[in-house]
Amino acid sequence: MNPLLELLTRSWADILMATWQHVYLSLGSVALGALVAVPLGIWLSSRQNIARVVLSIAGTIQTIPSLAFFGFTLPVLGIGVLPAMVVLFLYSLLPILRNTYTGIREVPGELIEAGRGMGMNDRQLLFMVKLPMALPVIMAGIRISSVYIISWATIAALIGAGGLGDLIWGGMNVYDIWLILAGTIPAALLALLASFILGRLEKAVTPRGLRST
Amino acid sequence: MIKFEEVTKKYGNQEVVKNINMHVREGEFMVLIGPSGCGKTTTLKMINRLVEPTSGRILIRDQDIMDMNPVKLRREIGYVIQQIGLFPNMTIEQNVDLVPRLLKWDKERRAKRVRELLELVDMDPDLYAHRYPNELSGGQQQRIGVLRALAAEPSVILMDEPFGALDPITRENLQDELKNLQNKLHKTIVFVTHDMDEALKLADRIAIMKDGQIVQLDTPEMILRKPANEFVLEFIGKHRVAGGGPATVESVMKSNPVIIGPERGVEEALALMKHKGVNTLLVVEQDKRLVGVVTVEKLDKNRRRASTVKELVETDIPVVAAGSPAREAFNTLTANKLDYLPVVDEKKRLLGLVTKTSIVNALASFVWKEETA
Repeated sequence: MNPLLELLTRSWADILMATWQHVYLSLGSVALGALVAVPLGIWLSSRQNIARVVLSIAGTIQTIPSLAFFGFTLPVLGIGVLPAMVVLFLYSLLPILRNTYTGIREVPGELIEAGRGMGMNDRQLLFMVKLPMALPVIMAGIRISSVYIISWATIAALIGAGGLGDLIWGGMNVYDIWLILAGTIPAALLALLASFILGRLEKAVTPRGLRST
Repeated sequence: MIKFEEVTKKYGNQEVVKNINMHVREGEFMVLIGPSGCGKTTTLKMINRLVEPTSGRILIRDQDIMDMNPVKLRREIGYVIQQIGLFPNMTIEQNVDLVPRLLKWDKERRAKRVRELLELVDMDPDLYAHRYPNELSGGQQQRIGVLRALAAEPSVILMDEPFGALDPITRENLQDELKNLQNKLHKTIVFVTHDMDEALKLADRIAIMKDGQIVQLDTPEMILRKPANEFVLEFIGKHRVAGGGPATVESVMKSNPVIIGPERGVEEALALMKHKGVNTLLVVEQDKRLVGVVTVEKLDKNRRRASTVKELVETDIPVVAAGSPAREAFNTLTANKLDYLPVVDEKKRLLGLVTKTSIVNALASFVWKEETA
């Protein structure tokens, strides 16, 4: 019998479980990341000097090799889902933060001037003009973040967070190529699916007046 | 209505607006005009506090605007900008009723107002209200820009070169429409432009600005008749009239006669005549001092014997001074049966040329303008 089929029939429940863990691990981190990075990006968009500092810190976090990062958190947060989420959350920040910041910064000056000149206060200017205009760019940031957090979440298995990484690391330990694939393929499919769904969402939030027909 | 009292604006050490005093009356169409960097836009933006004065006071209906809430102030003042600035994420209706929405008008009143406004500029509300700005032409977009400023029925409207980015035909149409609107609505409008045609067409009064100061503030008529100084004279350029008609020689002359230097060759002079389609050339020195004239007959007859224009120039010719009355030039022309009369300044430098045609043209344009005004 085909070894892949055999594997599927034997451990489909494990694969499904691992996929589910993977989904909440990565989407949870991205959701948290967006919750922090979008407001932070908005706040930074009117504070260029602070923004430069914050964005370079976020950029530096991004350069820490993920394996090392998981290692660093080990003595502080131990193992399990929580430390994994903390690390993935930190990784997810930069693209969302940068896109929110630039998205708002790049709203055409004449729109800001028109809005202000017509008597919008800061909050109205944000919700009626800046955010609607920047939303597609912010969504793109969330999409980029999601795709690579899904792939990096496989490493989180190393600190006992579960997910599809479990199958991959397990397969590597016992030289079972099929087991590795059983982890890799769903992870790749998840990333593609997230990219597809969030891409559609990105289009949906693009104001009609800004869409190219 | 709007009073500037010794208003100055500095950016760092640079004074962009210097001690301006100006009173825009109720229902008046005031145009601020001047070359770029003269401070006209800064002056405008101080009225709705997008720019705040460094010193001095601006009063609207006797109330110091610095004592007012800027957001509230701006909602009571219409604002139109050159880049139009319609919100691309909003429909035409949402753009037009934006200020009413900020002012929390109820839905019915807003909808009624939008229809009313679109009909005011002959744009069918059913056709346009739910479109987006990018589905409209530039001219239509700026019409909406103007309507948006009118929406909440402000009594003051600020317009910052609103038609500057439009093509000439659209610009003229919108100027006409604005003029018609103003005849109906009698708003107090402050309008910035660098286009004198536009200013003359629209303004009740014009403030001509230079280097942050108002050089002259008067009606279009008075500015044309009595320009305050050389700068204003130059700025109004082709529009100038002198005391009710083409009175001086300067105002009827052609300013670009065909000239040649005395050291030039005969063949070159003949070629120039052929190229320009003239039978006489004015001979001038490097410093523009008039030496005389040279005719095609003389050049042709002597092309073997002479080599330079200098040898064939006729120096004993009648000329007329730039400041003398046009009538005098006309009399000289007819009395001596001349075709042309060079115009010189006090140092005998050539300024232009009066011909019968140029006098007739000057008269004609004066008469036509009087008729259409």
